[in-house]
Amino acid sequence: MADRTPIVHSSTVPGGVTQLRSASSQASLVESARKGAIYERSLQRKRGEVSESVMALVICEAVQYLQKQAKGIADLEDRLNRLGYHMGQRVLELITLREGKSAKRETKVLGILQFIHTMVWRTLFGRPADALERSTEDTNQYMIIDNDPLITRFISVPKDMAQLNCAAFAAGIIEAVLDASLFTAKVTAHTMGTPQTPDKTVYLVQFESLR
Amino acid sequence: MGVKSIYILNKAGGLIFQRDFGDSLSKLDSNDYLVIAGTLHSVHAITTRISPVAGSSGLTVMETPSFSLHIFQSQTGIKFMILTDRQQYGIDSIASRIHHLYSDYVMKNPFYTLEMPIRCEKFDRYLGAYISTVA
Amino acid sequence: MSKVRSVGEEVWKHKTDKINSELLTLTYGSIVAQLVADFDHDYAKVNKQLDKMGYNIGLRLIEELLAKTGLPRCQNFRDTAEAVAKVGFKMFMNITPTISNWSVDSKQFSLVFTENPLAEFVELPDKPNARDLWYSNIYAGVIRGALEMVQLQVEAEFVSDAVQDPSLPTEIRVRLVKVLEDEIPPGED
Repeated sequence: MADRTPIVHSSTVPGGVTQLRSASSQASLVESARKGAIYERSLQRKRGEVSESVMALVICEAVQYLQKQAKGIADLEDRLNRLGYHMGQRVLELITLREGKSAKRETKVLGILQFIHTMVWRTLFGRPADALERSTEDTNQYMIIDNDPLITRFISVPKDMAQLNCAAFAAGIIEAVLDASLFTAKVTAHTMGTPQTPDKTVYLVQFESLR
Repeated sequence: MGVKSIYILNKAGGLIFQRDFGDSLSKLDSNDYLVIAGTLHSVHAITTRISPVAGSSGLTVMETPSFSLHIFQSQTGIKFMILTDRQQYGIDSIASRIHHLYSDYVMKNPFYTLEMPIRCEKFDRYLGAYISTVA
Repeated sequence: MSKVRSVGEEVWKHKTDKINSELLTLTYGSIVAQLVADFDHDYAKVNKQLDKMGYNIGLRLIEELLAKTGLPRCQNFRDTAEAVAKVGFKMFMNITPTISNWSVDSKQFSLVFTENPLAEFVELPDKPNARDLWYSNIYAGVIRGALEMVQLQVEAEFVSDAVQDPSLPTEIRVRLVKVLEDEIPPGED
């Protein structure tokens, strides 16, 4: 589970692991002064925009890169999930730091799922997810539904790979946010298209056991 | 139906996409489509050379009693060939839209390899939906 | 406003579906982190991989630029530079790097960035050779791939990066190697 102690630094650090930084870092005085510039920057500054196309092409390249390493569809989904997981850890940090004093730690399942359904989705994709449902058969199972996921908007999976869902990337994001909030779950993405919403994607959130 | 048929050719002139719309065209053998595409690719290239006007772009429109053929070439070398009714207008915006759809649902598909035949479900879906709205 | 600049602005304003840049920043950051892990902190290899990925993206991205702008073929390399900076970067990243340091033969120029959405809040790790990482090297590849598709063979390399050293600007040097005459589609010679 990811460390939830407050962190002082940037939300993306190449090298993977979230690093805890303090004033007593080993860096020289000059280095600290220089690096300090990053910490001065407000997280509240007006957020920018880029073209959706760049995101689509970056995802496109990521899928191709991971596909070369993957041994089969399940492995590819796994790798996409992990990439999303890495990202999910940082999204949560970012949102929490922004909320500042008003940030509250979600202790109820429904609370954290609604947080994901609204806050996380809005931050990343510009709108809340379309629905949040609880399975009628399994009380440990919930579904987050997105009728038109941004991540897979331009992706057409070939017929011979029909079981693959690249939204596994977003499933990883959800998993990371849950893990960091001390709810362990496995999240998988499934396409359940209908004539009106052919790209409808269901993120199945399977908790081990809920209190 | 205004647009009868769309062909997409890669840089080398190979046919990478072909689709008929409506029932007015008879179904050809897949080889025939390749021949049509290759022929038009060559004809287009030849016309750039034999044009009496310097700096000619080559064949862009061919009109016959029963149909019109329009050829659009992107700066990257891919060609879109659109077969329409004689009365079809607004062909520039149709070609532009097809180019757009190609740049979205083909180019951004990680499972598509450049220059290869196009088999992208979403490209088919959105193209079909668009063409059905055209005149 | 120059014509090319207004094309870029127009496409950004009216023909672009936009997303929160943080989505891109975070995704890209996770990809770089993945590469660093996969290549075991060999930053030279990571740079190369980022360039390669950028190249593949450039090959695909150019079609959208052409479809949305209808820009005619550039007549000279100066026009190309304008198109890259004021149309390309504007319509995709909503930034407009400055073009500078033209070589005497007009075959080399620099793109200088005052902002870079990819590198928002990014800091390089404390590892000794982390200085070798060109964090946004994907840009270099994109430029190379995109221009190759319009028959210009170029080299693009980072000269300096504010992520490495905030006292320096982020600068990419682009050099025209040759025009790929044989590849020019018929009718455009």
